[in-house]
Amino acid sequence: MAVRYGSPLKRVMTFHVPLALLVVATLFPFYWMVITSIRPDTELYNVKMNPFFTLHPTVKHFEYLFDLTLFPRWAWNTLFIAAVSTGISLFCGLLAGYALARLQFRWAPPLGTMIFITYLVPPTLLFIPLGDVVKTFGLGDTPWALILTYPTFLIPFCTWLLMGYFKTIPREIEDCARIDGASRIRAMVSITFPLAVPGILSAGIFAFTLSWNEFLYALVFLSSPQQKTIPIGVFTELVRGDVFYWGPLMAGALLGSIPVALVYSMFVEHYVTALTGAVKG
Amino acid sequence: MTEQRIEPMLAESARPGAAAIPAPIVVAKPRTRRPRRLGELLEREHILAAVLLAPTLTILTVFIAYPFVLGVWLAVSDKVVGRPGAFVGLRNFDVNIHDAIFLRAFQNTFVYTFIATTLKLALGMLAALLLNNHFRFKRIVRASMLLPWIVPTVLSTLAWQWMFDATFSVFNWVLMNVGIINKRILWLGDGVLAMGCLITVNVWRGMPFFAITLLAGLQTVNPDLHEAAQIDGANAWQRFWRVTLPLIKPIMLVVVLFSMIATFADFQLIYVLTRGGPYSSTHVFGTYAYEIAMRAAKLGQGASISLSLFPFLLMVIIFQLWYIRRSD
Amino acid sequence: MAHETLRAVDRRAFLKLAGAGTGAAVAGGIPGVVAAQKAPSFPKGTKLSILEWVSFVPASDVEFKRLAAEFGKIAGVEMTVDLINMNDLNPRIASAIETKSGPDIIMMINNWPHLYADGLADVDDVAEEIAKRDGAFYDISRKINFVDGRWKAVPFTMGSGVWNYREDWFKEVGANKFPDTWDELRKVGTALKKKNLPIGQAFGHSLGDPNSWAYAVTWGFGATEIDDKGKVVINSKETIEAIKFTVAFWKDCLDEGGLAWDDSSNNRAFLAGQISATINGASIYFVAKRQFPEIAKAMNHAHMPKGPAGRFYYQGGQAHGVMKYSKNPQVAKEFLRWFMDRPQFDKYMAANDGYVGGPTPYWEKHPLWEKDAKLATFKDAPKYGRWTGYPGPPSRKASEALVKYILVDMYAQAIKGMRPEDAAKWAEGELKKAYA
Repeated sequence: MAVRYGSPLKRVMTFHVPLALLVVATLFPFYWMVITSIRPDTELYNVKMNPFFTLHPTVKHFEYLFDLTLFPRWAWNTLFIAAVSTGISLFCGLLAGYALARLQFRWAPPLGTMIFITYLVPPTLLFIPLGDVVKTFGLGDTPWALILTYPTFLIPFCTWLLMGYFKTIPREIEDCARIDGASRIRAMVSITFPLAVPGILSAGIFAFTLSWNEFLYALVFLSSPQQKTIPIGVFTELVRGDVFYWGPLMAGALLGSIPVALVYSMFVEHYVTALTGAVKG
Repeated sequence: MTEQRIEPMLAESARPGAAAIPAPIVVAKPRTRRPRRLGELLEREHILAAVLLAPTLTILTVFIAYPFVLGVWLAVSDKVVGRPGAFVGLRNFDVNIHDAIFLRAFQNTFVYTFIATTLKLALGMLAALLLNNHFRFKRIVRASMLLPWIVPTVLSTLAWQWMFDATFSVFNWVLMNVGIINKRILWLGDGVLAMGCLITVNVWRGMPFFAITLLAGLQTVNPDLHEAAQIDGANAWQRFWRVTLPLIKPIMLVVVLFSMIATFADFQLIYVLTRGGPYSSTHVFGTYAYEIAMRAAKLGQGASISLSLFPFLLMVIIFQLWYIRRSD
Repeated sequence: MAHETLRAVDRRAFLKLAGAGTGAAVAGGIPGVVAAQKAPSFPKGTKLSILEWVSFVPASDVEFKRLAAEFGKIAGVEMTVDLINMNDLNPRIASAIETKSGPDIIMMINNWPHLYADGLADVDDVAEEIAKRDGAFYDISRKINFVDGRWKAVPFTMGSGVWNYREDWFKEVGANKFPDTWDELRKVGTALKKKNLPIGQAFGHSLGDPNSWAYAVTWGFGATEIDDKGKVVINSKETIEAIKFTVAFWKDCLDEGGLAWDDSSNNRAFLAGQISATINGASIYFVAKRQFPEIAKAMNHAHMPKGPAGRFYYQGGQAHGVMKYSKNPQVAKEFLRWFMDRPQFDKYMAANDGYVGGPTPYWEKHPLWEKDAKLATFKDAPKYGRWTGYPGPPSRKASEALVKYILVDMYAQAIKGMRPEDAAKWAEGELKKAYA
């Protein structure tokens, strides 16, 4: 939708100014986090100083993060858990989305609804009974406790997204393949799935972000410092009693966002395109 | 081998004007055990559907349905940490109804969810409209707009906490230096103001999701429709209201649905920013359930608080789904 | 193989014991076992895991881990130590007890032994032994760790919230030493607030500092939440006096940001020079000494002022519980016995630099207290300590009252404008529900 504007002034007022305000409001806290992570401690506690810049930037906080905490290990854990959960969720979502979008069977609508209903159950209710389940399978304090529980809130959205995407892919393509002798499964895998790659990408990015971000289950199911994820590690080990180590906290927050931000910057255009496809369906 | 030859024959016989298949061939098809039988089975829609849905249903059953049932049992028991619980019927819920903090949490959850979702929708829509244009740095701006959603919530909320800190708030610093106020504003020290802060952070964090999803929706709208409307004399606002909005209603409703569910059950943000204070005035279902279950070790009571949001959430969702179906 | 390692180490341990003058009269434990020429029978591959809070004194965490590793070497046990934020211990403990799996030793704070009594193993042998050797535990340590006739956790340290104040600023308004009564403090505070140097107090939802005021003032004016029979008696003349005092104190002396403060806000405010005094543990002084030496020089600590009924601290202390589900309770107890033994605990206290007190009066005589006179207050504070739910037991119901911040909210609402009588009545209603 290309809106046609009148005079240049009008364009500035109705486009550039709102856009600028939006960008500033969105990114201001990040600027804040960056500044805090490079400010020396003495400045952080000084109320009178201008909080917007510092003349004595320091890398001490980042050093603290890497030397005195297991941050690299946490980063690896978080990456591993997020990647595998995403993989599982995509696998399940792909198959389930296809089934719900393409196949006619009696249970389709109720099952679809059931899958979404599970999304309604809040983690604050589940985490104690889930602890029991996790322990029964012997998964306590391993990344697998999270890898198998995260899909519970990732699958519903992935399923919806891919379902919508599949609906936009014309049936005829598959039917042609089947007439040519391919089985349903072959048609599904070789024809339909490749066409849904943008949808898969966007579902994957969404799932990855949510896994990266999760807090409650990671807090309860993991115990050793070596197993922690970034949100848990940074939050629980850099807040010591009533002393907040703000510098390293913000450094951790920044470094904890970079991988995901990079992934997004590579795929954001695909993400938008993919959602467009899902939307049409 | 017999089976393979049947299909083309069936296809043949399905063509108009073809001869019927001699009955004996069809009826006498031997049911022999072959490796290809699995493949045959999977050609049947409901079998294939069952197989495809199996992984999903397994995971959801083991890790949600089963614990959910346990959770419901907890909610009707008097379980505390370390002791087995006994069935007490609806007593926990009765206690909740008479608990002023619970009622406050009830109110807060709804207020928080509805206001935040409305704002996210409005601002997300605005952002999507703006981002739907071509301009320099489009890619960078679109990518950077997603940052609030990407940063781990726990950590970005801590940053906000410090931005609202009674002593160190950067907002106070700016407002005081510009001369708008001369006394510090105690952002998190007043019940209503603190709710406002919570909503602000939630909107900041969630708006990108709305923006990007709505942007996708906007891009499906055919520009020709706008051309036509403009030729007919519609101005920008009318074009938006009459042309764009109806077309993106489906995606709008879905994204509102998902976001509302998540916001209703929100825990992290409030826990980190206010912990339910000042004087229990910003508790929501999630945080209050957690406090009771964890710090007072009353698992049964905590579960009943968590469960309380379920019926209302269900009602909201059913309404939305019905609305979507209706407009399909 | 375990034998040889033990031989070498035990001699050193034995010598150290003899040298420290405590003699070999320690019943049980590694040194005792050695004295009896028996080898401990921990099979190879035994593991022990410990969950603690992360201390604001990083050096003490380092020392704790080091000591744990040392024990591991001596006993041939694989040790794991996990440190997390105090506030995040509860969900882990609950999950561990419910799933009957997790760390073998978990730190208990305040009255948690009462809360989690069903999941904790009895540790009478270790506790009694320490009490016999070092002199009885503080009354409050006993009260919070002794549940239904048995010791459910071994007392570890006592962290106290005392008054941190700026000596220099107090002198400027004529107070050469910290006021001894609440009324005197109010006079000094009023003068300070007029100079834009108010006192700071948290009334937010955080378990430490807000309760330090709420309970100290309530008890100081002679009121209590319940009586020794468990009846709710908060709605009393004394309570209303305490509320009136707090509201007046708020107006005259306190920084108005306090309603939003959590445990860390007053630290920040004090170190930024925004407030002249506050109730806090030793974490402010700790950070000051390292990063703001001028403030460290200008500040000092003092006891809670006296009210009409006396001087009281809201205290709890920290202890170690051995979990009932643990597969290695013997190893756990051995560790605690060894750790709380003088040579080891001495090192731990030293690493803490005086920021925490020990569990028995014995540790008041430790030379580290001589190092810095400003930390003397922390040494004596436990003497005036009382627990949540005084004079009743620090039970699960007391925990519920604490978790709902009933007392703190009573004061906060009065500050916000509720009439003291109504606030007391409100607290009564809430406490009745918690103690029902």
